[in-house]
Amino acid sequence: MRGCRSRLCLVFLVMVLGLGLGTSAFAAKEPIRIGLQAPITGQWAYEGEMALNCVQIVADEINAKGGVLGRPIEIVPGDDQCSPKQSALVAQRMLSEKVVAVIGTYGSSVTEPAATIYERAGLLNIAYGSTAEQLTAHGWKFFFRTCFRDDRQGAFFAQFVNETLKLKRVAILHDNTTFAKGLAEAARRSLEQAKKAEIVFYDAVTPGERDFTPVLSRMQATKPEVVYYTGYYPEAGLIIRQMRDLGSKAVFVGGNAAINDEFISIAGLEIAKGALMTQEPMPTDLRYPEAKPFLDEYVRRHKAPPSSPWPVYAADALKVIAAAIEATKSTDSKVLADYIRNRMKDLPGITGPISFDDAGDREGAIYLAYEVTADGKFKPYQP
Amino acid sequence: MALLRLGPGPAPGRRRSVSGVSGVSGVSGLVGRYSAWAVGAVAVAAMVFPMVVSDYWIDVAVFWGIYVLLGLSLNIIVGEVGLFDMGHMAFFAIGSYTTAILSGRFGISLWLLLPLSGIVAGLAGYVLARPIIHLRGDYLLIVTIGLNEMIRISLLNNPWGLTGGPNGIIMLDQFRIFGLVIQKPMHFYYLVWACVAASMFALVRLQRSRIGRAWNCIREDEVAAEAMGIDVRSAKLLAFTLGAGLAGATGTIFAAKLVVISPESFTFMESVILFCIVVLGGMGSIPGVVLGSAAMLVLPEILRNFAQYRMLFFGAAMALMMIFRPQGLWPSKRWTTKLQEGESE
Repeated sequence: MRGCRSRLCLVFLVMVLGLGLGTSAFAAKEPIRIGLQAPITGQWAYEGEMALNCVQIVADEINAKGGVLGRPIEIVPGDDQCSPKQSALVAQRMLSEKVVAVIGTYGSSVTEPAATIYERAGLLNIAYGSTAEQLTAHGWKFFFRTCFRDDRQGAFFAQFVNETLKLKRVAILHDNTTFAKGLAEAARRSLEQAKKAEIVFYDAVTPGERDFTPVLSRMQATKPEVVYYTGYYPEAGLIIRQMRDLGSKAVFVGGNAAINDEFISIAGLEIAKGALMTQEPMPTDLRYPEAKPFLDEYVRRHKAPPSSPWPVYAADALKVIAAAIEATKSTDSKVLADYIRNRMKDLPGITGPISFDDAGDREGAIYLAYEVTADGKFKPYQP
Repeated sequence: MALLRLGPGPAPGRRRSVSGVSGVSGVSGLVGRYSAWAVGAVAVAAMVFPMVVSDYWIDVAVFWGIYVLLGLSLNIIVGEVGLFDMGHMAFFAIGSYTTAILSGRFGISLWLLLPLSGIVAGLAGYVLARPIIHLRGDYLLIVTIGLNEMIRISLLNNPWGLTGGPNGIIMLDQFRIFGLVIQKPMHFYYLVWACVAASMFALVRLQRSRIGRAWNCIREDEVAAEAMGIDVRSAKLLAFTLGAGLAGATGTIFAAKLVVISPESFTFMESVILFCIVVLGGMGSIPGVVLGSAAMLVLPEILRNFAQYRMLFFGAAMALMMIFRPQGLWPSKRWTTKLQEGESE
């Protein structure tokens, strides 16, 4: 009898408190804490800052609608300075902060030590800017990423050549750096699988050189219709220039390391005009229903849209976590990870529909082809 | 007392304390005056520490220990001999990569790799320093900055597919003792600080030896040292090799702790931090290195609550420190007394 009455009292007290605290209905409830590990200071501070802004907008949006499971979301930022050492420290700190899940981080080799710690502790973590293939090769159970793996860009290129450009003879050039070589390999694999176009030339140039005519004339002899260069913009500018000097009319396509204003100034606008680049879409070029209101809000708060493709993936990571908590009514990482891996299907995100494969990689390949316009700008390519 | 009894071989400590130059470094001075009590208290505190704090603070202490080891290694070069080396991360990188590559490809035990990485880095230090060791002051400093960048960029370029380029190498192996895998922060804590204790003991002994005194002599006056019959060039090379070797051995622990080794860990900025540790702590002072690395590593962690401004506060603290205590947090004893009393040996 006594116990019953005291419980009634408690319920009454909670109700009074809830009313007493007025407008914000869940003010008395304990927030759901979600970590954001990002480079908030240091060389890549602008990336971390934008990620924090993006995540905060989504958190505010969710909280305005009543939060998750009736509890507000609280973001716990952790600054890793894009340094592997700091990353390990931040990861430990996140564990002691008792967060439900962690978003982050930017940079693959920075993600690795943190993700190892999260995995050992069994804490859900979703990276937003770590594209190296090796990350999902460990068989980790608690690691996901909303950004796409490096090799997906190669797959996009193959699809773009086969279905949009509809060209048959492809030459691929890389510069032997890990990134460019990986992308070139991925593009070759995807083209060979599709069996629609033929790879007539595949070779590497040495970065830092000025004269690529020996390689390019050998390439010219194989009569390619499209040339894909996966390396960086200084060489890309010189290559397109020297290609045209040799009389090649092939379509030039650069990878996302070539998309830079310097490319245009090295090649000269006359030559660069019409060159194509494959790249993750810039936030302003996203055409999904979730993207527009999000970007409007971002511009309203921070005066300009995010200047890099990556921060919006952090916002999507929060959406994934919130959706998983809401659907499973749980904050246990094991339950959440299981839901995200097996049952989440095409969650509407800012960067398109989100689902994950068994390894934790995001499915699909959302890239865009950009074209150099006559006034020296990069615009999404329209055939 | 225990430490003092094990003390200097060729030059008895008693003679020096009579002449007023008590002890060589702060540590031995401290031991001399407060006997084993202070050392014992510190040791007990260090043993108990990980049992009372969270994993996060243990991890902070682990990285602090790693930076103490690095600071000690650079202290040999910058503090003892006065060679300005601002590219010390290069040797740390060589040690870390040696460990990651050999462990990954050949499955060599990390206990073996600990000395092996030290030897490889020491050899690299010898080979790289040999042609530049005659440079003085800032000239040497600039060349070592260049060395640091050369090593880092070569690692980025993935030579012979060994280093994995910007993505680095993943370490699969860990230290093991009798079936226990050293993986938890607490395990690493004891491993790292045991190494720190061992290195400090060895370095205090070295500091008081003939070699250590020759180094200090070179630091104070190179011409005079040469006139006294010290082989300046080989003494300098020895310091560089030893410093590089200790940094390389530390690389093994770092690789095991971080699980991934990538060029981002070995930037020029990190070399500057190491240099600051030595200068901030007090050139040539072994306890100074411990305090200096606490200032450079633990302070930013304490300031974490200031989010975006934490580096601002950190910078301000550094600037104030250098204005009000330019000689360092725990200056080396011999440095000050010698200037007053002149050369005693």
